[in-house]
Amino acid sequence: MARSSIQNNIRRLRFNTGELTQQELADKVQVSRQTIVAIEKGNYSPSLELAFRLAHIFKSPLEEVFSYDPDDGIQKNK
Amino acid sequence: MSYQEKQNIVNIFSGLLVTIIYALMVYQRHLQGNFDLTEDFKTWGVIFLIFIGISIVVRIIIQIIFHIINAIATREEYVPVEDERDQLIKLKATRNSYYAFSSGFVLSVLGLAVGMPVHWIFIAFVGFGLIAEILDNGSQIYYYRKGV
Repeated sequence: MARSSIQNNIRRLRFNTGELTQQELADKVQVSRQTIVAIEKGNYSPSLELAFRLAHIFKSPLEEVFSYDPDDGIQKNK
Repeated sequence: MSYQEKQNIVNIFSGLLVTIIYALMVYQRHLQGNFDLTEDFKTWGVIFLIFIGISIVVRIIIQIIFHIINAIATREEYVPVEDERDQLIKLKATRNSYYAFSSGFVLSVLGLAVGMPVHWIFIAFVGFGLIAEILDNGSQIYYYRKGV
């Protein structure tokens, strides 16, 4: 399965938000812990709504939580 | 292994178990001469309807047993809430299973066109239905592990 060209800083942001656990974050945004794990590993690109919910929890703009690198995605897809 | 992966493995085995046992029972009755599956198409209809009923009941029972055993083994009573990733995985897996069953249907019709006996189409439906279900659950396991 090709990895997404969307990267994220969720691990770092969790750490900066009082060591929020994956389960706690999952509960706050109403998804399963497995989904948070998959997003952090880059195995799943969340919907726009979930992305905004995550940014809202971290009180950060969306660009700080997620970034887009098309070249990275092309290289990984090769 | 996540709850969903375990549930899909249970689904594959319960599907195989129910289909194989029921097929053997029907075949045994066919051999005993209770009905002739090569000619009696009304019986095929009854067999399929009974199979659907039995399959639903047995799977519900197996799911309940699985949930109890899983709760005892993991000491987690809750069933994970289905979120957007689960729904996307289910959609993709269902798509794959439809491809498999549609291919089977086309192959069966092709078989009829080249002169295969009509009762083979019913056997092919059972076979491709089982393959489609295994592909559905197998796809879900794959997407849960490799990402979607």
